[in-house]
Amino acid sequence: MHVVRKNEHDADTASWEAAVSAWVDGEDEIRAEDLDTPYGRQVWETYHLIGDVLRNEDLAIKPSPMFYARLSRAIDDEPTVLAPRALKRPRWRARVSGLAVAAAVAAVAWVVVPRLAGDPALELQPLPAAQLAAAEPTDDTALHDYLDAHEGLVGVVPVRLVSYGTGVQP
Amino acid sequence: MLLMLAWPVVATSATNGADATVTDNNDTSAQAGLLLKMQAAARELDYAGIYTYQQGVVMISSRVVHLVDGTGERERIEILDGAPREYIRHNDTILTLLPERKVVIKETRTVDRFPAFLVGEGKQIAEHYDMVVTGLPERVAGRDCEPLVLKPRDEHRYGHILCIDTDSHLLLKAQTVSASNEIIDQVAFSNLVMGEDAAAAQVNASWDTSEWTEVEAHLNSVNLFDMGWRIPQPPGFDVIAQVSRPLRADARVNHLVLSDGLAAISIFVEPFDPDRHSMSGQGGIHKAGLSVFRKRIGDFWLTALGQVPAETLRDLAGRIEYVPLAR
Repeated sequence: MHVVRKNEHDADTASWEAAVSAWVDGEDEIRAEDLDTPYGRQVWETYHLIGDVLRNEDLAIKPSPMFYARLSRAIDDEPTVLAPRALKRPRWRARVSGLAVAAAVAAVAWVVVPRLAGDPALELQPLPAAQLAAAEPTDDTALHDYLDAHEGLVGVVPVRLVSYGTGVQP
Repeated sequence: MLLMLAWPVVATSATNGADATVTDNNDTSAQAGLLLKMQAAARELDYAGIYTYQQGVVMISSRVVHLVDGTGERERIEILDGAPREYIRHNDTILTLLPERKVVIKETRTVDRFPAFLVGEGKQIAEHYDMVVTGLPERVAGRDCEPLVLKPRDEHRYGHILCIDTDSHLLLKAQTVSASNEIIDQVAFSNLVMGEDAAAAQVNASWDTSEWTEVEAHLNSVNLFDMGWRIPQPPGFDVIAQVSRPLRADARVNHLVLSDGLAAISIFVEPFDPDRHSMSGQGGIHKAGLSVFRKRIGDFWLTALGQVPAETLRDLAGRIEYVPLAR
């Protein structure tokens, strides 16, 4: 997007801000001499001011378009993580409730790995997250296998969702 | 969190059979036919979408792609919440992909997942559920659907409210309802495309599993009745599967499944093991619509569970007997 820049006019302030925004987005070029203007210096001061505001709420002001320009730039500057699907500390655990975590893990512990039988380190075991904080973990764990087998054959959805503490019925 | 609702107040198609009329029978067979169309749609149509299953505070969304070609059904179900997991099915061959463990489990069995809702052919559903069409179309996933209420005729099972796509008869939404009108769980599409729009969807595995560990899970057919087990079935419940299967890495168990076409009860029979089976663990548990009942019978440990009222399992377990066959 080509933007014509004139510094004096108010109506051109908008186009100037648009140019800066486009520049931080990597869409357009900006001339260094344009920054060396009263308005250009204000842009750069704003960048620094934002840092101060984040550290001191008293300085907080209503966000200007420059704020969004900076935010956009900051996001663009985030390093891209090129790691493959590394699932060592899954972030989803922070978002999903404990019940769903434990239930959805539903590791098929009942499956024998024939080639590796006798090697306990490689035996499929329920992940630690399957141990619930709720009522009686032993009861829950004991029923996991049966529930998995049941849901596996007839479940509407193929994961066990109910986590079982001791229930109500005598 | 309880969701309450009232059964729709419309004339039911049949009551206890005593005063069924010709008109009632026609309505019943029309609705039974609708259920069969619904099941057929799930098996025969091309569709792709995302559905969410909710039970209490737990919600799990899944992406499903179902395509039919000259070789039969191909289906991929990708669990979108929680631990990544995917199921790839080609007719009765199912691969379960566990990417965190780099394990692929291969099995051969018949299983119907949402939107295939009936267990088996569901031919006996009309005998044990009143089927009510409310006639008030609803809208699910942007599509018009027709509600069908399956109200249990006795206290042995729960009810269901279905919403069936008006055009294709695909099941769009299903809710399980207790006798006290609580919604026990529900599943519904949030978006759905069908036909040609679905054909481009990916039905192959999301990961390259060539380096993964492959495991074959074997379910062997058994006959518990021949072994001496007497398992009286609750009204309407038929035996639909009997297998011997691994329960844990170190134990096998006999697994029998009863179903009335909608509800399913699993009965697990294994040798009593004092290390794992506690006499104090006998009895019933009920939570979130799922009932469990455990009992020692002779040298065996029995575990019954299913989405049925607690009394159904208690009665069932109370009448199971083991009569060793004389040699």
